[in-house]
Amino acid sequence: MTDSAFEIERQDSGALAVVGRRAMSLAAAAREQYGVLVRTLYYVARGKMEPGMLAHQMYEIGNRSLFFLTVVMGFIGTILCLQAGIQTKRVVPDLSMLGASYLELLVRDLAASIVALMLATRVGAGIAAEIGSMVVTEQVDALRMCAADPIDYLVKPRFLASIVMTTALTIWSGGVAIVTGTITADVVFQVSPHTFWNLSLVHASDLLICIVKCLAYGAAIPIVSATSGLSTFGGSEGVGWATTRAVVNSSLAVIILNFLISSAGFFAFHGR
Amino acid sequence: MISFRNVCKSFGSKAVLNDVSFDIEDGEIFFIIGASGVGKSVLIKHLIGLLRPDAGDILLDGDEVSRFDEKAMYPVRRKCAMVFQHSTLFDSMTCVENVALPLRKHQGMKPREALAAAKERLAQVHMQEFGDRFPAELGDGMKKRVAIARALTLEPRYVLFDEPTTSLDLVSARRVDNLIRELSEELGVTSVVVSHDLVSIFSIATRIAMLYKGGVRLLGTPADFKNTKDELIQQFIHGRAQGPMET
Repeated sequence: MTDSAFEIERQDSGALAVVGRRAMSLAAAAREQYGVLVRTLYYVARGKMEPGMLAHQMYEIGNRSLFFLTVVMGFIGTILCLQAGIQTKRVVPDLSMLGASYLELLVRDLAASIVALMLATRVGAGIAAEIGSMVVTEQVDALRMCAADPIDYLVKPRFLASIVMTTALTIWSGGVAIVTGTITADVVFQVSPHTFWNLSLVHASDLLICIVKCLAYGAAIPIVSATSGLSTFGGSEGVGWATTRAVVNSSLAVIILNFLISSAGFFAFHGR
Repeated sequence: MISFRNVCKSFGSKAVLNDVSFDIEDGEIFFIIGASGVGKSVLIKHLIGLLRPDAGDILLDGDEVSRFDEKAMYPVRRKCAMVFQHSTLFDSMTCVENVALPLRKHQGMKPREALAAAKERLAQVHMQEFGDRFPAELGDGMKKRVAIARALTLEPRYVLFDEPTTSLDLVSARRVDNLIRELSEELGVTSVVVSHDLVSIFSIATRIAMLYKGGVRLLGTPADFKNTKDELIQQFIHGRAQGPMET
């Protein structure tokens, strides 16, 4: 190896080069996801759909996640209410506003975000693994040979189903968390359901933010996961990496979207 | 006619194809042979736009298909079908639905008409009674026959076979050979076959190209391959472990 080659090698392994490579890789991934999103929206606008595909994906994403989300949100409702009650009692003995604050937090942020994070793990991993396996076994190439664009055939039904079912699951899971929170408040802190069900802090803007979050998360999870699946290379190891990447990137997308939508909501509704 | 003109392709720093050029005449059964990983499948995937060359051109009936975008490749894929190495049937569809898909997508047939036509195609490969089965319920040989039915459903002029006899028993492998020969003799279909199967190569090939280290080592008839004094080719066609070939 020549001196200059050694120099390039040394520079390449420097901290700046590592950061630069990582930044370029992230930019490339974002560009790829943007491309998949634009092509998915194009096919959604065209309106044609394979018969039964949407219903099948809604069942896979929604119905099959129902038990998992019910259990998770049931426990989270209990834990949240318990911790909120304990912390509040350290400051003031009055727990009459416990339910109002809990419901506000649930509607504005936690219901949609926790459901989306859970869906990112279950649904995101499933989408990436399924599409990734199709890539490595050349089924995606076979689809292209049949004049079926993989975005139209594989991504679009998952995109639409995810948007609908993320919203539906958020409503259901929010309901479950309210029920377990109500029971916890009654049993542990003797706050009656009538007192707990205080909607004075929940406004129309909170509901609007919740719906926007459901739509954004529901769109982001399949796009990010499908992009990971479609960029799979190699064999089963590649599918494993694609699945991991899908879960990490989908979760990251949910957190970033949460920050952006919450910030926009804060400024839009007079910094409440 | 198919023409590869100075085709180059690299994956990262690894050059797989380096200045590959040859022609395939209409009606030929043209075999592309070579050691594993030499770029045989990569080369034929360029013809149908599943891969794009870094340099060079690929011509199909005079059209420079290597410059076509994805949409423009659809008509090319109608007349140039491919049977993939692992059958690649869609797991979520029955066999008949698999065969019907190209009819619905390429020709815009209604589902009921496409399914009826697909059943006829399955009958031609003696798989009509398995039409309602899912691919997971079939053996490798049966899947391969369904994949061939799917590839032939649009009556293509060119068919690319990627290792069509790999993982098949000897009887099934010879049946596939016969099918390829019939396609050429009775329908005038041009077949491009990527294979390691020496029996297939020397029983049905009209011409053979051997790829080695990114280029064409020898292009000729089966007789040319048998008579060549190139030790590397002799090692390959006799399946000898010892010799000059680097893998």
